[in-house]
Amino acid sequence: MRWVDVKESLKDFWFEFKRQKGGLLGIFLLVLLVFTALAAPYLTEPDIPKKWTTYWEGNPTNVPPVWYNYFTTKKLAAHEVLTYKDVKIINEGEDLGGGIRYYAFEFDYNNRYDLPPKDLIIKNINIKLADLNSPAQIVITVFRPDGQKIELLSADLVEGSIYQIAKMGTVRNNVFNWASQFEDPKNLQGRVETIKSTMDVMAIIFAKAEPGILVNPQPLHGDYKFQVEIFTFNEGDKLDLKPIQVILTGRTYGLMGTDYKGRDLWAGLIWGTRVSLVVGVSVAVLSVLIGIAYGVTSAYLGGWKDEFMQRVNEFVASIPTLPILILLGAAFKGHVTLWTIVFLLVMFGWTGIAKVARSMALQIKEQTYVEAAKALGAGTGRIIFKHIMPQIMPYAFAVMALSVPGAVLTEASLSFLGLGDPTAVTWGQILYDAQTNSATINGYWWWVIPPGLAISLVALTFVLIGVALDRVLNPRLKRL
Amino acid sequence: MGYGRYLAIRLLNALLVLALVTLLVSVLFTKVAEEDLKSSIQEQINMKLRANPELQKALAAEPEKLQEWYQREYNRLIHAYGLDKPFWVRVLERTKDTLLLNFGNTKTPIFGETNVKKIIAAAIPRTVLLFTTAQIIVILIGLLLGVKAAQVAGSALDRAVSIIAMLTSSIPMWWFGMIAILIFSFKLGWFPSGGMTSTPPKEGFAYYTDILYHMVLPVGTIVFVLFGGWAWTTRNIMIGTMQEDFIMAARAKGVPERKVIYGHALRAAAPPIITMTIFSLLGSLGGAIITEGVFNWPGMGRLYWTALQQNETRLLMGVTFVTVALYLISMILADLAYGYLDPRVKVGASQQT
Repeated sequence: MRWVDVKESLKDFWFEFKRQKGGLLGIFLLVLLVFTALAAPYLTEPDIPKKWTTYWEGNPTNVPPVWYNYFTTKKLAAHEVLTYKDVKIINEGEDLGGGIRYYAFEFDYNNRYDLPPKDLIIKNINIKLADLNSPAQIVITVFRPDGQKIELLSADLVEGSIYQIAKMGTVRNNVFNWASQFEDPKNLQGRVETIKSTMDVMAIIFAKAEPGILVNPQPLHGDYKFQVEIFTFNEGDKLDLKPIQVILTGRTYGLMGTDYKGRDLWAGLIWGTRVSLVVGVSVAVLSVLIGIAYGVTSAYLGGWKDEFMQRVNEFVASIPTLPILILLGAAFKGHVTLWTIVFLLVMFGWTGIAKVARSMALQIKEQTYVEAAKALGAGTGRIIFKHIMPQIMPYAFAVMALSVPGAVLTEASLSFLGLGDPTAVTWGQILYDAQTNSATINGYWWWVIPPGLAISLVALTFVLIGVALDRVLNPRLKRL
Repeated sequence: MGYGRYLAIRLLNALLVLALVTLLVSVLFTKVAEEDLKSSIQEQINMKLRANPELQKALAAEPEKLQEWYQREYNRLIHAYGLDKPFWVRVLERTKDTLLLNFGNTKTPIFGETNVKKIIAAAIPRTVLLFTTAQIIVILIGLLLGVKAAQVAGSALDRAVSIIAMLTSSIPMWWFGMIAILIFSFKLGWFPSGGMTSTPPKEGFAYYTDILYHMVLPVGTIVFVLFGGWAWTTRNIMIGTMQEDFIMAARAKGVPERKVIYGHALRAAAPPIITMTIFSLLGSLGGAIITEGVFNWPGMGRLYWTALQQNETRLLMGVTFVTVALYLISMILADLAYGYLDPRVKVGASQQT
């Protein structure tokens, strides 16, 4: 085949294909998916697959995406992380005399939400104590927009301390004592202990100072200022605030919310594109190529060899795929890699196409030009690759596209059963986690709907392309 | 090839597949079970030693004796579990047992039973109830819609059928089930989220209506995901048939259009459609493996799920064996039906589709 011919036939093909609206939509979706898969490290972070198996510290668990607020009447706080750059340093080691040094920083928080952050976490205060028996001291105070001030915590600061405000008993006590001055005593009667143990500390810090603050806190919007003061009592103590992190744990997170480990589901969705495309496309391409080679060889050889190859084909074809894959997955537990899955899917996937390729090759074999080539002394390989294969290839492309969805759905099903590659980020696994953690029962829709839509989208993309290819290429087939 | 010989070859092929699949699975699980058993043997020996202070005292003084005792216990248990036999003997024994339906017992009771055979026997009717009902609805809707679409090829209805078929064939059925549960049981509260009956089960007539009530969501899910594909396939077969000469002839003769479609075309298109019907009805016995797990429906699919989660290898083997066997039976029946219904098809030609 000359290059001009190839160009010409491609042009013809494109002319036909352009008229298939579904096919064009499919191509558009495919470009989008490939872009997402390639750009995954830049759209999110490059180390997501490694991070995916771990617990995401500091992230809220099971919270919906930020944009959920557009659909709710009660606005939920977003997740915020402040670093050294975002806080205002007031004092960095002022000498108060007697070996005491004073450090202080503050940060503002504008509460626009009806439900405030779940927690306030202060960590990575890099302190080196000269004498472990005389720890430093930390004081955290909040100044509220109504002029009220609550001293949340006054505690020892030792190396590696992490302060999770809402979880600390002393904070709970301080907040309760402060709030009870506004509370109607009738509300408290005989219930002090219950209220103390069940109250939502953060909700009260951000609540209107009025009766009911403890039993039914109403949000107080406005600017809050948090002040953190640290005193060190030893000349040798060293304190560095540079790595500091202040986390206001959100009740919403990012573009797609989080799961039970606090993982950013958006990152999972983006990275899942890779596995889905790689598995889908490689299974389709490999099984179609193997199937065609098998079918054509079988048809060309003929006789008892053909008969034998057909029996083998039927044998493999009669094995139901999913139960066997489940069994194999269970037997290899934990040792399944993506390539094992691809291999297994190819092993069970080539039979159908081999049948069709054989029947097509049987027709082509009888054409006069093949006879002519044979008479001219062309070898088996030459006839197969030069004369038979090119006739079948266009058809093969349509079949490849049409067999991607099956592979994508099967991989997702295996992952959903917990039998996927444990080191890969896949949509099926996200759904598996959702199922085992009762996401549907708890109404965590953001954890269930997007991954399934993504699977369907990949499948649909290739269905659209495949059907369009089939429509364009099949008339040629009929002319054979 | 004669019909009888064809039948014999099909049967033989099916039996061979069944035997080989069982063998393959036995190889895998004999290996898995061996590791399981070995660690359990260690555990048992340690437990025995811990539970017997006198023995501990007697053996503590002489490490050699301890070694000897340990080895003796180990050998005894290895023999008791049959692990001293060569690997292949154990594989063949397991294959034979499975083929003879001696699946053994599970480690913990499932559906209040430990005998795998009884568990499976309890599960099959439930799967039949759910999936066969759903499948019948799918076939009815699919046929009606497909024939209608073929009749008005190119119309809005026809296009809608193709679009629905494309969309629904891209959706994982189990995911759609999760969404149905999310919306209809937890947001709207219309239907139960899973199971076959309320707990505790109701009495008398209410028991049956309760089952029907529990079936609505899973049946709805299955029907929604499958009917498009059925309608699409029926449409394609019908369009192919309607282009044939005898339809032209019937029309030219002035046979009413209704009769042309239902009397002539549908009858001619019947063989592949009936084969498909048999195939999907029998195929539904295995259940859509994962969908049942999602709906917590106590059938074959849920068994797969449970067996995987609880690492019940014997149950896993049993369920797989039965599923493969049912699948093979349905293949043979479908093939036979095809040959019987469509005498034009040379026997054996169905293999080429």
